[in-house]
Amino acid sequence: MKVSYQWLSEYVDLRDMSPEQLAEALTRGGLAVDGIASRNQGVEGVVVGLVRDMEQHPDADRLHVCQVDVGQDELLQIVCGAPNVAPGQKVPVALPGAKLPGDKQIKRAKLRGVTSNGMLCSAVEIGLDTRLLPQNQTVGLYILPEDTEIGADIVQVLHLDDYVLDIDLTPNRSDCLSIRGLAYEIAALTGKQTTFPTDIDVTLPNEPSPIRVRIESDRCTRYDALVLTDLQAVPSPLWMQMRLLSMGVRPIDVIVDVTNYVMLEWGQPLHAFDAGKIADSTIVVRQAKAEETLVTLDGTERRLDDDMLVIADPEKAIGLAGVMGGENSEIHSSTTRVVIESARFDAPSTRRTGQKLGLRSEAQQRFEKGIDPAVVRTALLRATQLLVQLAGGQISGGVATATTDAESALAQRVPFSPNRCRELLGCDISDDMMHELFRRLGFTVVEDSENWMVNVPTRRPDIALAADLVEEVARLYGYDNIPSTLPLGPVTIGNRDARQRILEQVRNMLVTRGLFEVRTYAFTSPEAYAPLQLAEGNRLRNMIPLAYPMSDERRVLRTHLLPSLAEVARYNLAHRVDGGAVFEFGRTYEADALPITQQPREREVVAMMWFGTLPDSLHERARPYDFYDAKGAVEQILDGFGIVVQYERAQEPWLHPGRSAAIVCDGQRIGFVGEIHPTTAAGYDLSTTLYAELDVAQLVKRHTTSLLVESLPRFPGARRDLALVVNKDVLVGKMLECIDELRSKREILRFASVFDVYEGKGIGEQQKSIALALSFGADERTLTDAEIDEAVQEVLQVLEAQFDAHLRG
Amino acid sequence: MDLEALKQELATLHTKALQELEDVQDTKRLGEWRVTYLGKKSELTTLSKQMGQLDAQTRPLFGQLLNERRQALESAFTSKREAIESAEQNARLAAETIDVTLPGRHTDVGAVHPISRVIRDIEDIFLGMGFMIADGPEVETDRYNFEMLNLPKDHPARDMQDTFYITDELLMRTHTSPMQVRTMEQMHPHAPIKVIVPGRVYRRDEDDATHSHAFTQIEGLVVDQGIRMSDLKGVLEAFAKALFGEHQRVRLRPSYFPFTEPSAEVDLVCVHCQGRGCRVCKDTGWIEILGAGMVHPRVLDMAGYDSSIYSGFAFGMGPERIAMLKYGITDIRQLYQNDLRLLRQFAKV
Repeated sequence: MKVSYQWLSEYVDLRDMSPEQLAEALTRGGLAVDGIASRNQGVEGVVVGLVRDMEQHPDADRLHVCQVDVGQDELLQIVCGAPNVAPGQKVPVALPGAKLPGDKQIKRAKLRGVTSNGMLCSAVEIGLDTRLLPQNQTVGLYILPEDTEIGADIVQVLHLDDYVLDIDLTPNRSDCLSIRGLAYEIAALTGKQTTFPTDIDVTLPNEPSPIRVRIESDRCTRYDALVLTDLQAVPSPLWMQMRLLSMGVRPIDVIVDVTNYVMLEWGQPLHAFDAGKIADSTIVVRQAKAEETLVTLDGTERRLDDDMLVIADPEKAIGLAGVMGGENSEIHSSTTRVVIESARFDAPSTRRTGQKLGLRSEAQQRFEKGIDPAVVRTALLRATQLLVQLAGGQISGGVATATTDAESALAQRVPFSPNRCRELLGCDISDDMMHELFRRLGFTVVEDSENWMVNVPTRRPDIALAADLVEEVARLYGYDNIPSTLPLGPVTIGNRDARQRILEQVRNMLVTRGLFEVRTYAFTSPEAYAPLQLAEGNRLRNMIPLAYPMSDERRVLRTHLLPSLAEVARYNLAHRVDGGAVFEFGRTYEADALPITQQPREREVVAMMWFGTLPDSLHERARPYDFYDAKGAVEQILDGFGIVVQYERAQEPWLHPGRSAAIVCDGQRIGFVGEIHPTTAAGYDLSTTLYAELDVAQLVKRHTTSLLVESLPRFPGARRDLALVVNKDVLVGKMLECIDELRSKREILRFASVFDVYEGKGIGEQQKSIALALSFGADERTLTDAEIDEAVQEVLQVLEAQFDAHLRG
Repeated sequence: MDLEALKQELATLHTKALQELEDVQDTKRLGEWRVTYLGKKSELTTLSKQMGQLDAQTRPLFGQLLNERRQALESAFTSKREAIESAEQNARLAAETIDVTLPGRHTDVGAVHPISRVIRDIEDIFLGMGFMIADGPEVETDRYNFEMLNLPKDHPARDMQDTFYITDELLMRTHTSPMQVRTMEQMHPHAPIKVIVPGRVYRRDEDDATHSHAFTQIEGLVVDQGIRMSDLKGVLEAFAKALFGEHQRVRLRPSYFPFTEPSAEVDLVCVHCQGRGCRVCKDTGWIEILGAGMVHPRVLDMAGYDSSIYSGFAFGMGPERIAMLKYGITDIRQLYQNDLRLLRQFAKV
């Protein structure tokens, strides 16, 4: 919220506090001041001048030669090019030597041969924020009111010597959405007194109000209305306009300006209706009817529902309670009879209405956070006072009022224990000090030995519990004065659990293998999944949509990490990275059916991708990544955690059918590894790319932590190499599995591994040669050649029987 | 033969042998020299055979002399051999010289993502202080994300966190704070609770240099009997010192979060200028790093911990912001761009 330093200083003595010091005090008290702006953007030497006379410039159609009275002995001749310049106007005059915003310096000059002793200024030229000025004050000269004193310094006239503090108010401090609340707050923080009035002295006629008000909903607890006649919707005085401007409110006319001014001053939103537009002189506060419509002040037709509160007359709605008035009861220049409304509407209801209609008015922002019921009437009287003073209003009758049972303007009584407060803060603040702090806040304390009862005025709706009072004590005492301690309780052990340890280990393994960890977004689009070629009904298509996405590209939750990593690959290849390997620990969000009615499964996977080429180096030539790079990483992880798996041909539409595998453990698929289908890759602007993923929950479930060493062999073992010719389509993994099975029968057979695969010259066209190494050993003796030969023969027989494998001739 | 003549012959032989040895420069010639002067058919052997012609009295004298000469020659031979071998090895080593300034052979190493790196560092600090690490769902219910945190429906403070809703009741969590409640429910009635929760969170913010619709948070929660606000300050101070150095201090400023009371913004001494004032800290010397406070009594009560007996503190921080400060990254989007040219710079221990 933007707030005027001068306005505040009217109610708290700030003579010993600069705007900077005030900002620091507020910030340290919990009202963070984001910035301090001087209203003066660099104006110096500009005074009020009266254009006495004006002639056409002899040599320029668009220029006028003006004789301007600036309170000096002689008139100043000033050449002016503004289209709206006219005799009799009072305008800002930059005298020779004056400074204007943007480091502009005004000098005596000749314009097309005519001497000009200064410059008549527009609003922009004197640094006013034209976004908040009426249209006619933004083009051409800025016209000052007729009663402005000639020769006066414009800085004083327009209150440009004021400062505006921009306070980032937290939502609990609705009380500080007003000068009144801030004055009390500054008083509490600094120990000063505030002179903000508690009452307004206005004499109301001792006769009933010409209008009646009726509340028909429990969402309005109080409705006060007062009728004023003989009002004129003229501009408000300059000082009022400037205060509104400084706080970011647009001046309109005196009637509207007074309602806004009082809102800023007292925190109570007011509304002015044209009394002549209210049928039967009756105001009804009721919930809207379904399908009821209302054209609001901004000219938009709003479709209402029965959750919304409206101000109505017996025939029609005339305003959205606490949010925005209706066009049908708007004040016009011809309006003379006005109803001023001051009411208290239900906070959640006002908030919902604003949200549903996309309206956020100053009034609504105050109502939705809660206003002070104690000043509903006082604020109305303050507005009345100002309208009588400034707009010649006549009060017509007393205040028409209605309240509901829910109305309670009583101070809150909050129990408070000074001992508990000291305990919670870890800080030895004396009872006397607490008394003093509550006194500064304007809270009264009823002491009953150890338990206090603190009366909190209604202007502080945020204080409801003892904890809130503890915060008030701490805040005013100063958070800086709270010592640093450590919790006294029992010692606890900090530990990573199995999942967290596994994630750390996998991360370290992959990083050591040259993979870079990435972090991608969980939001994506169905279009980004098109390259996956998913069939209708594929579960990966069940992407959970966001209700109100910010963009089409990020409108659903991902069900797969491949598209995310493909985007990383595509981005890097497009940025002159030759290739690389990346991985991510990411979640996919899986729904059985849409729309979801409960939290979806969040499946955590480690996904890996290898794209482009391995970097060229002095010692190794560049080469594209291939399947076995990917599989090596998968094997390293699985071996590391002692998880035994099978690799089965994968059937996924996004994987190369001949170069991919499903990773299966005990009949359950726990991941994939393979080359991305060329069509899928092309869809992501990629060429040969490898992808692998492992389900983290499966790693956690299946990992073995026990580690028992095998005793070292005491007798030398033996190794026999076999070169076998088989058909090309024979899977070596299956051959090794087969040998593995033999081990149960032949204990001396310890281990089999493949060390070469050869196709080409010397081997049949449909065949390949496999080089296997068999390791033999026994615990208690040295093996004889005969028994090793026998075992080798058995291996050969089995491999021949199952795979038609023959020793290479 | 007379002794003197033999002695003379021996001396001549000795001198000649040493002279020749002087000229020997390689192993092959050295071998030849050895055969010539120390071998079975060498002159020395011939001389020794003549010893028999000497009388019994002089024979031992000559024998001794002969031995001395042989030993002297063998010793000269050994020295020479060592000298030659050493020279030959030096020559060989010189020939084997390589360019030691060429790069070594690497196994390419990747890198942990900067955000993960920060999270890991922070986890390690809190593990050291006896905290556990918890993990929770990103798709949350309105109940856990808001209501149980003292943010009823239609509460204006919900505006502080613009939310991605999925349905009326389901949403992307806007903070890791729902895990305060989930942890308390799960641990109930055990105390103390000391936990941190790193995780991804989501808010409807336009992505720009300082905002991201998706980012990470680390939540912290301590609940026990007798937990004080001063403990919050002390724990965060210990954390700040561990992460940023012993010179660190924390400054608490009053603030507002619906689920803590009292609430505080927590500033650390600017890590860029050490508090002298700079652009990073907008000349204040302080940088805002955490939100924190004493767990709101309503939150404790709703989660089953009686607020008249228990108290606690909670805090939340953004690893992105810390990563940006620590590593000099100026645009948060870079942390999600995954540009390998940036990530490669994190391939350091």
